Amino acid sequence: MKTLAYSLIALGLTTSPLMAEELTVMTAGDQNMVDYINDYLGPLFEKQNPGVKVRAVGTGPGDAGSQKILERFDAQAGANVPTWDTDVAVVHEKFVGPMVEKHYLEKYRDKIESGKLVTRENAKMALGTNVDGYVMPMFNSQTALAYNPALVATPPKSYEELVAWAKEHPKQFGYNGIKGGASGVSFVMGWIYAFAGDGDKLQQGPFDAAEAEKWTPAFAKLKEFTTNATLTPGNAGTLDLLSRGEIAIGPVWVDMFYSWKATGKLPPDMKLVLPAPGMPGQPMHYTIPEKAAHKDLAEKFVNLATSPEVQAKGIVERFNWYPGIDAQHVQAKLDKATWDKLFTDIGPADLAKNGKAFPIAPYNKAILEAYERQVGN
Amino acid sequence: MRTTMIDLKWIPRALGLGLLAFAIFGPLTNLVLWAVAEKWYFPHALPLQYGFSYWVSVFSPRGNATTSLTMSVIIACLTVIFSIGLAVPAGYALARLKLPFRGAILLVLLIPQAFPNLPVYVNIARLFYQIGLNGTVVGVVLVHVTHGLVYAVWIATAAFSAIDRELEEAARSMGASAFRTFRDVTLPIAAPGLLASAVFVFLESLDEFTGTYFVGAPDISTLPLLLYTAGSGGNYQIASITALILLVPSIAFMLVIERFLRADVLSKVGR
Amino acid sequence: MPIPLLGLLLVTPALVIVLALFVVPLVSSITGAFAVDGKFGFANFHKAFELYSSDIVFTIVIISLSAVLIALLSIAIGGYLTLGSNPRAVAILRWLYRWPLFVPFIVVGQILRTFLAKNGLMNSMLMQLGILTPMQTTSFLDWRGIVIAFVWKQTPFVTLLLAGAMASLDRSMIESARNLGASRLRILIEIILPQVLPTLLVGLILSFVTMMSVLSVPLMINAQSPTMITASMAFRINAYGDYGVANALGVISLLTTSLVAWVYLRQTMREHR
Repeated sequence: MKTLAYSLIALGLTTSPLMAEELTVMTAGDQNMVDYINDYLGPLFEKQNPGVKVRAVGTGPGDAGSQKILERFDAQAGANVPTWDTDVAVVHEKFVGPMVEKHYLEKYRDKIESGKLVTRENAKMALGTNVDGYVMPMFNSQTALAYNPALVATPPKSYEELVAWAKEHPKQFGYNGIKGGASGVSFVMGWIYAFAGDGDKLQQGPFDAAEAEKWTPAFAKLKEFTTNATLTPGNAGTLDLLSRGEIAIGPVWVDMFYSWKATGKLPPDMKLVLPAPGMPGQPMHYTIPEKAAHKDLAEKFVNLATSPEVQAKGIVERFNWYPGIDAQHVQAKLDKATWDKLFTDIGPADLAKNGKAFPIAPYNKAILEAYERQVGN
Repeated sequence: MRTTMIDLKWIPRALGLGLLAFAIFGPLTNLVLWAVAEKWYFPHALPLQYGFSYWVSVFSPRGNATTSLTMSVIIACLTVIFSIGLAVPAGYALARLKLPFRGAILLVLLIPQAFPNLPVYVNIARLFYQIGLNGTVVGVVLVHVTHGLVYAVWIATAAFSAIDRELEEAARSMGASAFRTFRDVTLPIAAPGLLASAVFVFLESLDEFTGTYFVGAPDISTLPLLLYTAGSGGNYQIASITALILLVPSIAFMLVIERFLRADVLSKVGR
Repeated sequence: MPIPLLGLLLVTPALVIVLALFVVPLVSSITGAFAVDGKFGFANFHKAFELYSSDIVFTIVIISLSAVLIALLSIAIGGYLTLGSNPRAVAILRWLYRWPLFVPFIVVGQILRTFLAKNGLMNSMLMQLGILTPMQTTSFLDWRGIVIAFVWKQTPFVTLLLAGAMASLDRSMIESARNLGASRLRILIEIILPQVLPTLLVGLILSFVTMMSVLSVPLMINAQSPTMITASMAFRINAYGDYGVANALGVISLLTTSLVAWVYLRQTMREHR
């Protein structure tokens, strides 16, 4: 027993030390994010930088995944660790604001070549916080309504139409509330944009606590609507129930929708529609901690990941995700058929018109809490 | 006449066992089917296409499954050894000696399981960064020990209470020292019970995610770390395969322990 | 050395580990629950009760119900293992019951989500067998799903402990009762159960505590509101970065389990003295 213990300890100690050059990438999001780094980006980077090994750690889907990365930084900052154990962190838009405000991140965009390929507004402001220079978008995602054409002959083009449709088809619309992931949250935000007026103010600020009163009738309407809807367990739960034919339509993340289709868990004839006046989307951002151990390598890595070639081949062609850098640079690298696949269900015009941002952070919180009080409880 | 009697008795038995088997193996069948399903969606009751492409990706060199499995088993074994090492003296004292605050002590050991530990891990991680335990096997083992200790100590206490005091007294009267009596008489009799607690500690360690992430990742990768993203994100194939791999050490450990498991010890758990 | 001191000395290493590595880090969480803008206050608890009172009640009801079902099932299984007359049936049962023990909670959540759904594997298996028609199928993905998941995963654990306790009882009393013509059910309830009750209670308390802190099952199975405390805690942290209310919920959860454990411990203490 004793020798066994010693040999186990010895084995345990010998396997743990770091190798010479390991680039650690923490990523929130789904399994496909981890796979993307493990199967595509990592090997590509290693080929260009011999002797380097890319190590991906998935921290779980949704806000919880990004929160775990933020908490990890909190712990290292609190302990005054000189070099942090994360070189690149891929997090949701909502979490870069706090990270920048807490001075955890490196301002690196101007140092890398692909930095000038991003001009989109959401690479500068993240839910009301100025993050210009600290982030590079990995891809942009969008929520939309996924539907089963066999059950929904003419998909609702707007929230109004959806409400009417759901009334005629009780329990056929499903969403995951607000506790089970951001696709439900996004549906709720879209609801407020649709029925409580000033979407622009919510997305751009400034914050005004009095605004909350305007939402009350919209929430009352949502509460009534929800009694007629099916609640699903999580982002994946909505897709799961769609795939089982238990609901006919529901809000999903476009990127998840495509990866479920690709892994054979959704019937191939499922479609997407983006209802007016729009639903929010958000980018996933590459960030580099200021105290990262391999900052140069990390910058190189992000530069590769946001180069037009990789954005074209990896993000668009492989996963059908909307590119992170400006579209024209990516479009040039792809043939028309591949590029157009991005817009099979939702055309570029619809996307431009109805692809919204999430409300700025304080409104975001206020809306969620109002939902908890007025719809959830 | 007699044979028909027996046959009749098998009807409720078979019905009961059948129901139980359905309840237990139904979900497990689901797990196995997802592990080999390439395509499966409504309205098909069974997968449309079977294959092993997800197994290939789990076991690909970058998938880290084999190293994570080894690491999981190493950590679980170390956790068991360490927990039992702590639980033996503690359990003995709680079972045999007159202790002040006995109830409070048992209660304190329960706390790591009783407080939903989500918000606590940030503090633990900060502490471990300060003392340099982050990213080490020792750090992860310590976190797992903290969690498993309640099983180890509560069950060890039971194991020691189950022993007939007269045996120990006989050894003492023949001139054996207290320590020798403990080593040669008490411990061997209690061993099966201690091993029973080892099963639960082992399983607890093998399943643990949050602590391992905060204290171990990225340097330490265990199977639950691989499983978590896939599992919570709805990647059924990868999650099912990882879960099946996790079954292997669990069942192997159980079979080993089974040989030592003795009924009378289990009867005194927590007394 | 006086005995109490020696005893404390032996318990110290285990206690130190738990105190240093969990209770101390926990302290800042607990004080955080009472901190409002840097001052002492109960605002977090007010908010926790205002927004999540139904979740708290729901959690306690669901877990108590699960615990009762687990107790009944484990008594039934343990009883049959002890009193069953057919060795083959007993052997099959012994082999059968413990499988769920080895499946991690996160996987339990995932496989039951696809198993219990309206068009999930369970209903489609039942339809293939001709037991159900498509019109009769329902989804169990609500509070029933959580209870099923907990019972499925925790029954083997309690049964394992309980069956061991039952097997170690003195057989002579059981045999003589049987010779007097007592039915097996009566023997189980009147002779066996009182003797194994402490073991059953420990198993149930350890299960209770485990169920209180599981996050993946409510997240993956229950979509409806109210939900379990852990899910609300996670939501509080992930959506608002609000540790105050999350910690307040944690304290409520801790108090609930401590209360249950304390009632039990006080009872065994009397026995122990």
